[in-house]
Amino acid sequence: MIEVSNLVYEYPAVRALDGVSFSVAPQTITALVGPNGAGKTTLLRCLAALEAPYSGYVLLDGLDTAAAPRQIHTRLGYLPDFYGLYDELSVRRALIYAARAHGIADEAAPAAAEKAAQRVGLSDRLETPAGELSRGLRQRLAIAQTIVHEPRVLLLDEPAAGLDPQARRDLSTMLLSLKDQGMTLVVSSHILAELEDYCSEMIIIEGGRIAGGKPVKVRDVERPRYILEVATARGDLKDFLSARAGLDLIEADEHHGLFTFTRNPGARAKLIRDLVAAGFEVSSFGEATKALEETYFARVGRS
Amino acid sequence: MNPEFQRNVWLELTPRRLGLMVVLLALAFLAAALTGSAGNGLVLGPLSTTAEFLYYVIVVVWGTRNAALAVIGEVQARTWDMQRLSAIEPGAMTWGKLFGATIYNWFGGAICLVVLLGETALHKGVPTAFIALVYYAAVGVIAQAAAFLASLIAARRRQAHSRLDVFLYQLVGLAAGVIVYTVWSVADPAGSILLRKAATDFVIWWGWSFDTRPFLLASLAVFAAWTLTACYREMRLELKMQNGVLVWLGFLVFIGVYVAGFDAWLASDKTMAGWDAASLRLGLAATTFAVLTYVVVVLEPKDRVHFRWLGSQLASGRFAAAWNGLQAWMMAYVAVLLCGAVLLVLLLRHPPAEAGAPAFIAAGLGFLTRDVWIFVLMQTLPGRRRSDLAALGVLLALYVFAPAILNGLGLKSMLAFFYPQPDEPSLLGPAVAWAEGIAVAAAAIGRIGLAKPAPA
Repeated sequence: MIEVSNLVYEYPAVRALDGVSFSVAPQTITALVGPNGAGKTTLLRCLAALEAPYSGYVLLDGLDTAAAPRQIHTRLGYLPDFYGLYDELSVRRALIYAARAHGIADEAAPAAAEKAAQRVGLSDRLETPAGELSRGLRQRLAIAQTIVHEPRVLLLDEPAAGLDPQARRDLSTMLLSLKDQGMTLVVSSHILAELEDYCSEMIIIEGGRIAGGKPVKVRDVERPRYILEVATARGDLKDFLSARAGLDLIEADEHHGLFTFTRNPGARAKLIRDLVAAGFEVSSFGEATKALEETYFARVGRS
Repeated sequence: MNPEFQRNVWLELTPRRLGLMVVLLALAFLAAALTGSAGNGLVLGPLSTTAEFLYYVIVVVWGTRNAALAVIGEVQARTWDMQRLSAIEPGAMTWGKLFGATIYNWFGGAICLVVLLGETALHKGVPTAFIALVYYAAVGVIAQAAAFLASLIAARRRQAHSRLDVFLYQLVGLAAGVIVYTVWSVADPAGSILLRKAATDFVIWWGWSFDTRPFLLASLAVFAAWTLTACYREMRLELKMQNGVLVWLGFLVFIGVYVAGFDAWLASDKTMAGWDAASLRLGLAATTFAVLTYVVVVLEPKDRVHFRWLGSQLASGRFAAAWNGLQAWMMAYVAVLLCGAVLLVLLLRHPPAEAGAPAFIAAGLGFLTRDVWIFVLMQTLPGRRRSDLAALGVLLALYVFAPAILNGLGLKSMLAFFYPQPDEPSLLGPAVAWAEGIAVAAAAIGRIGLAKPAPA
């Protein structure tokens, strides 16, 4: 869905992106992470055809951002980290305008606006002026404006900034729902734990390059990461796990094992039975929740 | 309806605002009608005078401010990126913004025109009223489009936009309005108030005589079209679309031909004695191109990244890409050099009465080269945020302060190092000017080539 090849973007004194290449598969959610000033926002703006690269190219749904920026905007939604709303327009009018500005026909725009409002939970505020919405609701309206034309690709720059915990959870649910409906999402954020909830891949930008050279898979729906803990130290834990068919060991010591394994409940139950039968005192076994954070620091620390 | 225009209509034309405008204008006209005396055939009455004054205030003064804010207001409110991300084509975005942001002004202006043109038609006939309608529409469109264009150029330069900046963009529009008003006054039976000149019935252009009013109306229409074209092309750039060079080259040809046609105005000038028509026309075109070069080199973003990119395209033999990436000032500058070179050849073949003219022109081209590259050089120096202001400061020193000091010291012979000397027939002036020009250009190009960006 997105193909980036040898992308270079320069400011007068700084090369912000230096030969970035990657591709993003359709109907996935990719996290874009990295330290401040690493080039995340510049990369998103290049993907959104808001900035022209010095060299290299970005193909979005097969279209070159340099050659066809307006066509790309009919299939793309982008929410910048800092954005404004038309405070004097009602939610309905703001959404109708966004729909029409993205090429939706006059007669279809009101329905598109109502659908977008429903998706973000603003159906009961359609006649409220945008200026009277709370911060969380403004964020929802901004996202609704971004998705009102049902883009194939959605780029979000720090979408959860300033949201309360409930609003963040709602956002995660909504992003997963958008992915399930066919959208491809790239989300930039500093909050790694939150990205963990919905991202399947991660691109780490550091110093204008992709750390490690390519995106990393951080979440596999079919084969999640599990962490195992045994109460009594056993030196053979690593060998035991490595020998199991269908289990890919990431790392292990005498007390812990981190590995990917099938989500199938029967297979997991059998693994625990075998561990207990082999004399391991299993004290905990569950899905690893910090996979993205661990991968991030491993990569950034290495590069 | 154009969605951008519709959004502006939603915001601007609320029933309360419409009612307020109608009531206020009605009160103003009532007051004028009750307090003034009736007009006659030549001078319109107080109602028309009031309507004309209010038209200028609402459409030109206030309208230019709203036009200047059409894009800058979006930048300030952080909504501009959302608009740039829309699928609205640049043409639709241009007219949707230009006429949408000023729709309330046009509403008020239309009421004023009804009063003004109604009385004009009554006293001077319908044809005169129609001509006046075209003029008033043109002055409004040109002034607002000029302010809009200035704000678009500023948006592309990514400057911060304070209230003072917005006022400057508005001033550009007001200046355009004053120019249109002044030029139109040439055809006014009452003469120009600003220039204190008598009206002219005929205009000599390319040797032909034209009635002033139709000629000026046609000229205004053409310049309005060019201004709108410029807005459209700036909008394309802002929406990250690529502009070719042909439209700007077309404008250069147009403006060169248009201005060259006024050679008859210079024929009686003593300093031009001995110049044939071709030389006069080339001189006019070259001077216009030179003015355009200065204007455009100040306005255009002189982006080091773009210069590096141009260099890389040329170095790798991608001449078509480099050609399409040329900036407007570069083409205007080359046009001055070409016209100036041909003019020099003509003057050397048929020497004019003023023997120093060829040397003066050759030196002028050299100093133009120096000045243009000063703007580029300043962009490559540290602290480039205000580089254009710094360049203007350098030019002020070169053209005003240093010559004043030299004059004070009695060193007038040194003035040839600063600007062309009209009474200097020798080759010293051109040699000095070109040496300075080449030195500054080499320094600028060298710094662009050397200044590689640091990694992020």
